[in-house]
Formats: sequence, structure tokens, C-alpha cells
Amino acid sequence: MRKVLPLILIVICLGASFVTLDFLPEIGDPSSKPNTHTTDYYIEHATTETNAANMVTAVIVDYRAFDTMYETTVMFIAGVAVVLILASHPERKNRIRFRKVRKKESRDGKPVYRTINKEVVIPLIEPMIMLYAIYVLFHGEISLGGGFQAGALLGMTYILDVMVIPERDSLIRLPKDKSTALGGIGTFIYVLTGILCMAGGGVFLEYEKLPIPMHALEKHSTGMLLVEVGVAICVMATIITILNGIMERVHFDDDTD
Amino acid sequence: MSMLMLEAVLLLALIAITLVVIFNKDLMVVVVTYCAFSFITMFLYIVMGAPDVAFTEAVIGVISTIYFIMTLRNIDRRCK
Repeated sequence: MRKVLPLILIVICLGASFVTLDFLPEIGDPSSKPNTHTTDYYIEHATTETNAANMVTAVIVDYRAFDTMYETTVMFIAGVAVVLILASHPERKNRIRFRKVRKKESRDGKPVYRTINKEVVIPLIEPMIMLYAIYVLFHGEISLGGGFQAGALLGMTYILDVMVIPERDSLIRLPKDKSTALGGIGTFIYVLTGILCMAGGGVFLEYEKLPIPMHALEKHSTGMLLVEVGVAICVMATIITILNGIMERVHFDDDTD
Repeated sequence: MSMLMLEAVLLLALIAITLVVIFNKDLMVVVVTYCAFSFITMFLYIVMGAPDVAFTEAVIGVISTIYFIMTLRNIDRRCK
């Protein structure tokens, strides 16, 4: 019975999805409903209305900004869930036991030389990744990229800094409580941009009503930039939160306890 | 036609990588091969004309591989 019931459920779900597949429009069909109304509108008006050359960013952050707000919130909630599940400080005897990793020695007894000095190479790579992340963040409406990619790159820099050279004191350390709070701050920046638009007399996330003395199109660019900064901070904090959650459970060979 | 051939080759490579991931016993090999999976998916996105998604795929593929390898340090590398 315990094996039959899931099987029946799987068959029902598969059947339901195959039945509903018929109602969906074919991929690339030029006469389907979305391709005759919304797509044409976006292609014609996106650049002139939102002042963004990258149409993907225009749709994601301007036309569909309310969707993206909840996607950012989902990222934040995922980070909180990871911390709640993984970082619960299990008893030492209940922790996962780690294997002893023996140090590599060459077969003929000669010492093994390190060909790459990682303490020099990694600090050289990190600024370039961060510079690229900032470029991606600020040029999101012109070239590819945007808040999500910039946040992921920034989080990758933190992972490199913590994982590759663990003994070095890094400039910014984010423990799990601070990184979770930072994710909330990123989401808050996003919502605050929408509320600022309401303060200027518009509806939620209507960038043309931002209370700053600028041209209407420049207001669009500024609003998109503010929103993408919020998304980048939230994504970076979520990646660091997942890293912190895994680090609570992982033992490394050079751990003291 | 050549674009279709390119897509076909990439999709066949995806199937081959999936078979390696399913049937390999060494989890480290599986993780690294899974990184190659996301790499080829990135090429597919570029061929299909979505560089934005390809960029996201490249970054997230690297980060998820780092997480997998961190977790692999704690469990047995070979599965029964």
C-alpha cells in the first residue's frame, strides 16, 4: 500500500500535466495569444518607454517589477530556511564524521612543491570579479546582466575569500545572523523604491513619479538601478547565508575542535 | 541548418553527461561532470539567443559546484 499510493499519485499528476499540455500554445508560434499582443508591445515600446536598451531588464525590472519583488522575497526566505535547518548546532557526537585526509607526498620521497601561491593569486583575482560585478550591476539596463548576476558574483568573491585562504583575516566577515539580516535589507531597498514612487504621487513601483528632479526617462533608469541594487544585496546575502549554513556542519582537516 | 546541428550536438552531449552522472559511483566525478552539464547548458542558451540566462547559468553553475564539493568533504566519496 505504501508503494502503490505514490505510484497512483505520480500517474495522476503526469496525466494531468499531459492533458493540460494541449492548451498551451506551441513554442515559437507567431499567431499565439502572447505573441500577438504583449510581445509586440514590448518590442516596440520597451526602449522608448523605459530607457533601457536591454529588453530583458526592461521587462523584468520595469514592466514586471512587482513579480521580481516577490522573487527577491523568495530568495530571502530560502536563505532563512537554510539557516534554520542547517545551523542548529547539533551535538558533537551527532555531527557527521569527517574522513581523515592524508597529506599528499610524492612517491619517490621528494617534497611536493606548490606551483601556485594562492595567497597571492586569489587577492589578485578577487578585485577583478568585484569590479566586473559592479560593472554588471550598473550596466544591467544596457548590456546583459543585472542585479541577480552581480549579487551572485559578489557572493562568489566572498566564498573565494573564505574558502581558499581560511586563516587570513578578511576585511568583512558576515556571520549567519548578519548575512540573513543583510538579505532582509536588500528586499527592503526594493520595497522602499516602490514606496518612494508612491510618495511622488504614483502607484507602487511607477518609476516616473520618483520624487527626484530629473527627466522622466532618467527617473526610469534611476528606479531600475535602485531596485537592482536591492536584488544584488539580497542575492549576495543569500549565497553567503547558504555558505554559513553549510560551514556549520562541515569539518575541515585543520579544525581545532 | 547548421544551427540546428549545433543544438543537436549540444543536446546529445547533455544526454551523455546525464548518463555519466547517473551511473558513476565516484561522487567527485559526478559533481565535476555536473559542472560540465551547466557549462553545456550555457552554450545552449547562447545558441538560442538568451545571453542573459546564459550568464546566470554560468555563475550559478560555479557556485552550486562549490557547495557540492564542500558537502562532499563530509560524506563518503564512493557510493555503494
